[in-house]
Amino acid sequence: MPRIPFGDWVNGAVDWLLHHMGWLFDLLKTVFTGTYDGIDAVLQAPEPLLLAGILAVVAFWLRGTAAGVLTFAGFAFIDSLDLWEDAMVTLSLVLVATLIALVVSVPVGIWAARSDRVSAVVRPVLDFMQTLPAMIYLIPAILFFGTGASAGIVATLIFALAPGVRMTELGIRQVDAELVEAAEAFGTAPRATLLRVQLPLALPTVMAGVNQVIMLGLSMAAIAGMVGTGGLGGDVNEAIGQLDVGLGSEAGVAIVILAIYLDRMTGALGTQVSPLGRRAAARARAAQGLRIWSYRPRPAVALVGVVVLALVAGGMGVFGGPATPATAADGQDVGRGRKITIGYIPWDEGVASTFLWKEILERRGYQVEARQFDAGPLYTSLAQGDVDFETDSWLPTTHAEYWKKYGEQLDDLGSWYGPTSLELSVPAYMKGVDSLEDLKGQAGRFGGRITGIESSAGMMGLLKSKVLKAYGLDGEYEVVDSSTPAMLAELKRAYARKQPIVVTLWSPHWAYSDYDLKKLKDPEGAWGKGDGVHTLSRKGFAKDDPVVGKWLKDFELTEKQLTGLEAEINKAGKGRQQDAVRAWLEKNPSVAGELAPVEDSAATTS
Amino acid sequence: MSSRLEADHLYKVFGRRPEAAVERLRQGADREELRADGTTAAVIDASFTVEPGQIFVVMGLSGSGKSTLLRMLNGLLEPTAGHVRFDGQDLTALGARELREVRSKKISMVFQHFALFPHRSVLENAAYGLEVQGVPAAERRERAAAALELAGLAGWEKSWPDELSGGMQQRVGLARALATDAGLLLMDESFSALDPLIRRDMQDQLLELQKKLKKTIVFITHDLNEAMRLGDRVAVMRDGRVVQNGTAEDILVRPADDYVASFTQDVDRSRVLTAGAVMDTDLRGDEADCACETATPDTPFVDLCAMSARLPHPVAVLDEKHALVGVVPRQRLVGFLGDERRTPGQCPGGRTKGVKARA
Repeated sequence: MPRIPFGDWVNGAVDWLLHHMGWLFDLLKTVFTGTYDGIDAVLQAPEPLLLAGILAVVAFWLRGTAAGVLTFAGFAFIDSLDLWEDAMVTLSLVLVATLIALVVSVPVGIWAARSDRVSAVVRPVLDFMQTLPAMIYLIPAILFFGTGASAGIVATLIFALAPGVRMTELGIRQVDAELVEAAEAFGTAPRATLLRVQLPLALPTVMAGVNQVIMLGLSMAAIAGMVGTGGLGGDVNEAIGQLDVGLGSEAGVAIVILAIYLDRMTGALGTQVSPLGRRAAARARAAQGLRIWSYRPRPAVALVGVVVLALVAGGMGVFGGPATPATAADGQDVGRGRKITIGYIPWDEGVASTFLWKEILERRGYQVEARQFDAGPLYTSLAQGDVDFETDSWLPTTHAEYWKKYGEQLDDLGSWYGPTSLELSVPAYMKGVDSLEDLKGQAGRFGGRITGIESSAGMMGLLKSKVLKAYGLDGEYEVVDSSTPAMLAELKRAYARKQPIVVTLWSPHWAYSDYDLKKLKDPEGAWGKGDGVHTLSRKGFAKDDPVVGKWLKDFELTEKQLTGLEAEINKAGKGRQQDAVRAWLEKNPSVAGELAPVEDSAATTS
Repeated sequence: MSSRLEADHLYKVFGRRPEAAVERLRQGADREELRADGTTAAVIDASFTVEPGQIFVVMGLSGSGKSTLLRMLNGLLEPTAGHVRFDGQDLTALGARELREVRSKKISMVFQHFALFPHRSVLENAAYGLEVQGVPAAERRERAAAALELAGLAGWEKSWPDELSGGMQQRVGLARALATDAGLLLMDESFSALDPLIRRDMQDQLLELQKKLKKTIVFITHDLNEAMRLGDRVAVMRDGRVVQNGTAEDILVRPADDYVASFTQDVDRSRVLTAGAVMDTDLRGDEADCACETATPDTPFVDLCAMSARLPHPVAVLDEKHALVGVVPRQRLVGFLGDERRTPGQCPGGRTKGVKARA
């Protein structure tokens, strides 16, 4: 069989699109981000509990008292988890994606319902969009749309379009042919037939499609978090990265609350907008009689409630307003409000250094945004220039692949911590296993398994091709590819039961402070020399902002500083990273001045 | 105000290259030959005229092409060949927009399964045609309510289709068709889905309405009894062709072929036949000279039987000018009822032997 270079074709197509259709993607991006910013601004503006009240009134109107009360409780719960902002980000993302999905899918569905040929073409495309793993189109989405909301929206959209199209087509096709004929027999024009007969009768099915679009959109929220959209998806990713089951379930529950709310509301809306559904509901109510829990106000009453709450919310937004962040003192205001975006992967040293810089740069008068990514998307968006810099590249070994691919579009601002090390580690209770040499002949004890991380990771290649061979372990042990969170979970499980385990690990890593572990010695030097943790910036960042560029080039932390900062952040918990950084800076008052010196000598003590 | 409808050599062929198929049919090809090529000839060379105010019934079994024929009359289906002329207009020559205009104003239709819009109330259903025409809402309501009243549904305006029985639903369908004041009413097996008692009711009501409204109606049915009851003229279709086109009595008394004849076997003749059809016109001239009761050509068969039972001699039939036009001997009544036209013969082998044997 000849090798068909399908992948090359795809690469070629992506390049061609990038060079020739850029204007189109820019236009789409403008539309997406514009809609998203608008909705997000509206949702973020009011006090959380007021908005929860508005949402509750909507539920009260659509489904009755019980739904209203539960809605308020659910959203208040999200607020109490400190996830309100993230939840609203996710909600706006899903709403925008749904809106756009409907604008696209309903007409396509109608078209497909009216033409078998269109239907035959559309169906495989939908299958393709729905089954292609999300990660595969996430990277192109970043290439085309940059990181942030629009890439997340596109990813959600691609996944969520299919049910919208399918259900619209199905709904229209299943309208009784005799009814359509009757409409035609009375001289109804095709368009009017669609509007007067087919769509009203297909509406319940179409609304079921809308419902599915929203649900799939929400299920994509976690994945969208990998491309820097933030929101609950970002929280989930962060939790996975840190093996923080608690935070993960908080974000998960918040997603579920959003999902249930949107599901029930679109379901009820489906009944309300379709005349048939309205009648069925009215009959059910009549049969039931008046009950407090299923009582629903008239639309006018509900509208008044929403308007009053919205006015109160608006008024408070005008008069209260968010507290403006403290501005930098004169002389230290180097940034003068310039914007800097830092990207980070939710790894401890990355989080610590990123929020350290966020705090320091804000003190120096910059507006800093810290965006969380998965590794691939982070490099992509750095190369695209969407992110100004990131602080967590392990070079020259571990992240060599990324550097090879994107190095030309990036600037290396040098290492700020090192050397790091890669190693195999065992729990301290594994007596007699201290060096890689000691693993020989012990395969039975460890079940012949070395628990690894992502097979794509640099250290896994190194382990399989070099390290095992150097100690003659390659026939004896099997390296199990999984993922970093899975490896850590496995470690945690084994550690709790005091079972034998050997894992791939690297330093610095928080696992060493949480668990009592032994790094296996490497007398042969098979792992090679350690990496440095490098700061990478987009091409030309240091030229655009020479001051920050110089600060980053000079950036350095000692192991004591880094572990201290990490510990402070872990102690503070999610969402308080910057508070932790401030607390740490209080204890280490000289650091800010050392990292970001200003001309004015008085500033060094700030 | 009703208008004349004319179907002129209508063909409808489904499948590939329909024109070529029509050409072959014209040269005498048979429906089965075409089916072998994958084309279906639904209607073959159908021609007929419907006079104003007439109920024209098209009768045939399923698959005979009657529904296809009906849909060509209002342009829902475009004939492969031939013309439909209505009200002096060739419908086959009209564009889609003009055809819709004709359908919305001049031709309306009643469906087999009622085809009421489930998302509209009874009144909104009845007003549908007017809504398509763009009639203002108030007038629309008024006219739809009037049509519902005609159909016997006054007071049900605010109900919903699924709250009504089948018969009532079809009354809504009828009201919807009547509301537009169309001159031509196409009824596609409109009463077939109803149970027999309701069906009779609806037939009676249609006849009653027709006396008032004088619409031109084309009625499709597979039920010959219904065809006989309703039709001023009846066309019988078989395998896409009109095999006979005549009055109910023509069909019954003078079937065009064995197929039609076999059809008529099950018909309740006593409900269709009248004195005019069964009377003997071979007259002596003095049959009405006594003072006994007499019949007219329109006297139903059943009444004729009753008279015959009361009279000692054949019933005389007089026309409206009281001129003698025929007589109905009892023998003839029995013969028509049994579909036997021959005169009585002799007993085989003579009579005496049988009498002796008995004695």
